[in-house]
Amino acid sequence: MKKHSRTGSRLLIGLTFLFLYAPILLLIVFSFNVGDSSAVWKGFSLHWYTRLFQNRLIMESVYTTLLVSLLATAISTAAGTFAAIGLYSLGRRKREALLTVNNIPMVNADIVTGVSMCLFFVAFFQFWGSFARWFNSVQRVVELPERLVLGFGTLLLAHVVFNIPYVILNVAPKLRQMDRNLMEAAQDLGCTWMQAFWKVMLPEIKPGIVSGALIAFTMSIDDFIISYFTAGSANSTLAMTIYSMTKKRVTPEINAVSTLLFLSVLVLLVLSNLKEVRQQARSRQDAVRRPSALERLRQRLAQPRYLWLRRGGAAALAGVFVCVVAMLARETSSRPVVNVCSWGEYIDTALITQFEEETGIRVNYQTAESNETLYSLLKSGGADYDVVVPSDYMIGQLLEEGMLEKLDYSQIPNFSLIDGRFQNLSYDPTNEYTVPYTWGTLGIIYNTAMVQEEIDSWSALYDDKYAGSVLLINNSRDALGAALLSLGHSVNTTDEAEIRAAYALVADANRRGVFQGRVMDEVFQAMEGGNAAIATYYAGDYLSMLENNEDLAFVVPKEGSNWFVDAMCILKDAPHQKEAHQWINFIASTQANLANMDYIGYASPNREALERYPAYYEEQYGEELDPALYEIMAAPPEVLERCEAYLNLPASTRALYNELWIQLGTE
Amino acid sequence: MKNKLSWFAVPYVVWMALLVVVPILIMVVYAFTTAEMEGTLENFAEMGAYAAVFLRSFRLALVATLICLLIGYPVSYWMAQEGAGFQRVAMALIMLPMWMNFLLRTYSWMSILENNGLLNQLFQAVGLLELLGVDHIQMLRTSGAVVLGMVYNYLPFMILPIYSVIVKLDHSLLEAARDLGADSSGVFRKVILPLSLPGVISGITMVFVPAVSTFAISRLLGGGTQMMLGDLIEQQFVGGSYNPHLGAAIALVMMVIVVVCMAAMNHFGEGEEQAVML
Repeated sequence: MKKHSRTGSRLLIGLTFLFLYAPILLLIVFSFNVGDSSAVWKGFSLHWYTRLFQNRLIMESVYTTLLVSLLATAISTAAGTFAAIGLYSLGRRKREALLTVNNIPMVNADIVTGVSMCLFFVAFFQFWGSFARWFNSVQRVVELPERLVLGFGTLLLAHVVFNIPYVILNVAPKLRQMDRNLMEAAQDLGCTWMQAFWKVMLPEIKPGIVSGALIAFTMSIDDFIISYFTAGSANSTLAMTIYSMTKKRVTPEINAVSTLLFLSVLVLLVLSNLKEVRQQARSRQDAVRRPSALERLRQRLAQPRYLWLRRGGAAALAGVFVCVVAMLARETSSRPVVNVCSWGEYIDTALITQFEEETGIRVNYQTAESNETLYSLLKSGGADYDVVVPSDYMIGQLLEEGMLEKLDYSQIPNFSLIDGRFQNLSYDPTNEYTVPYTWGTLGIIYNTAMVQEEIDSWSALYDDKYAGSVLLINNSRDALGAALLSLGHSVNTTDEAEIRAAYALVADANRRGVFQGRVMDEVFQAMEGGNAAIATYYAGDYLSMLENNEDLAFVVPKEGSNWFVDAMCILKDAPHQKEAHQWINFIASTQANLANMDYIGYASPNREALERYPAYYEEQYGEELDPALYEIMAAPPEVLERCEAYLNLPASTRALYNELWIQLGTE
Repeated sequence: MKNKLSWFAVPYVVWMALLVVVPILIMVVYAFTTAEMEGTLENFAEMGAYAAVFLRSFRLALVATLICLLIGYPVSYWMAQEGAGFQRVAMALIMLPMWMNFLLRTYSWMSILENNGLLNQLFQAVGLLELLGVDHIQMLRTSGAVVLGMVYNYLPFMILPIYSVIVKLDHSLLEAARDLGADSSGVFRKVILPLSLPGVISGITMVFVPAVSTFAISRLLGGGTQMMLGDLIEQQFVGGSYNPHLGAAIALVMMVIVVVCMAAMNHFGEGEEQAVML
């Protein structure tokens, strides 16, 4: 090669690496931050690393990720290697046709693979359901489960499906390079077919198998999209946990776990590189050097008479692995379980642990993004939840479609503590299906350092004065609801002209560039960091933002607003009825309500908790609760008077909302 | 021996038929039916409303692929010129970011690009903002941020295949070209470039396909203003507008367009199957 100056080229390579690593360095640095912001440095600390091991949501997802990646890698490496060997002993034409099919999962966009697998599983479950019903009805010996759902099994299957092609693609070139006559020569020299396979073929293609396994493992760990569509309700991988967090606030525990993962891979890479370099250096330097003790041991073990030792060791390792998996599987299956689906950062997680310790029931706690997401999860039949916590209007819709189970209130004595104001509400007029969880109001949050005047009207959201600094809430009901109120209409109107007028107001402001973006939980980062001046969001969340930015103010506009109730319900035919009732009763208790109020900032519907909260706050923090803040949390009657609850809209109006909202997205 | 080994392929053929081909067929069935499972073409007709989303997705993905190529090609080319030790370290460094979850890396860009983020603070410090007379430059929640996110996430997929082709080039070919009187630009244009084309093509595929179908990147960096095909499909399955039939139809159309593009590219590059990575 030509020897000219390499400064320019090295500079470009260096800049590329800077580009690739700058965000990663930032993540690592902020895992040592005292505060929980990922933008403001407040000093060095290791406490996120200790918190990490106490955070069960994260630890469980790390565990799921590692288990699924390891199992998928093991299965797909073995299966892929055999498949590649098989493919390469076929004729050229057949082989190429099969390889084309093999490439499908790799060439296809992840989302297509994910979606098609999801549809496949759901269709299969339906088929299985009718088969099992028929089978159970014709005989009584074996009883097949009639209801299958997405879960660890489907997640693993999907990972194996997208990993095998990578293994095949890495093993194939080695097979192509291998001399076909080698196998025959070995057999002619007296090897059995099996021996020839183990001693000749496998060593030849081993580098391909190893790199295939490595890539499969990397792909499994990094995968998000396919897991997202196939994991269902019961399991979430680290990537899925992170996805649900990126929408609110990524807690530095995630930075910590990623740093640990990243550093361990880095160390492995450095070690393997060093070993390689040292081996090369050694083979160059002294070929006759005395072998070290370790090497002598390795040589002795390589002798045939120690074969049993190696085989035994491998068998023992495999045995331990199987035992661990079996134990974990037993552990998870034998304990009673309750599957709960709620919203992100919507419970004091200490309560979950407390419940588990008191009752021995394992809580499988999952989160959904919004009422609409929850609805589609339930509709697709992929979820296996017992308890869900939808908002008022969604409860109406679920009831209308017969998706909820009647509660047995004799098992929920704590229901009597729920304030009368939150019983027999419009979505459940006779109160047969629900136990309220929290309530609150929707309002405008604004940054007093960026907005000079006092805001008291929804019209501020569409005002050119604030162009480029308003965040629109990314949810059709709330965004159009605010516009309806601003025009003096009801949030529950079914009048198409009124709704279209509200849409025109929003779309027009959008065209004029008033909105900086459309956000849901991303609002936390944007408002706390002073990146946007005005946003629409919920009172409870305002209180947690206030902890990170004192300039923020909250107002329920003079035109009125929405007040909402989120309530716990049990799904129709939920498999764990008894445990679900126990959970609901536990969460409805005064102690749990106090803990939740303190942790999430949403007001409780529990009469005692509402009364006691100011005292509880003083006890916890040694200072008095600001009455103004308490009024924001639990709105006083005069504020509630101007607020309206969302009612379940008729299907045609819902379709209109949907259509308009998508229209806004395509503009 | 031949026949014995070919039995190894049988389980895999069954596996593929069941878990690769059948799911796609089911997706096709969904695309052509209504919720009541009656045949229809309505899903495709409805898609007209989303033409803007299709266009945006393909435009942004194309731009990102082009930028990846412009950065990735010279980097892989120059990397291949370096010593073995340098190359080994560089390759490891390119693979390594994949071990930090991509959502997290993307999220990290959010705090860099925010209006009060690190980059704007830097601009402030060097006086750029004052010079322009603004108090921040809006970078997050723009299409530029989405493209940046795609380039950032998929650049390694461009570098790896190009590099692995260039590094295996037969040096005697280059020498022969030089001996026959080609200058260095001639060698590059007439020998290296054509020979590295298969790598370029698999690089383009590996960047374009995930870029055109992403939903997390547009969601995080586009701030909800840059709806892409992935977001649209996701919404039909787990989002506000639950309609898996429409979602399947959109996914199907996207798949067909991508496959056609890729087939054209492969034809153009006469790409023999490549071991794409490592």
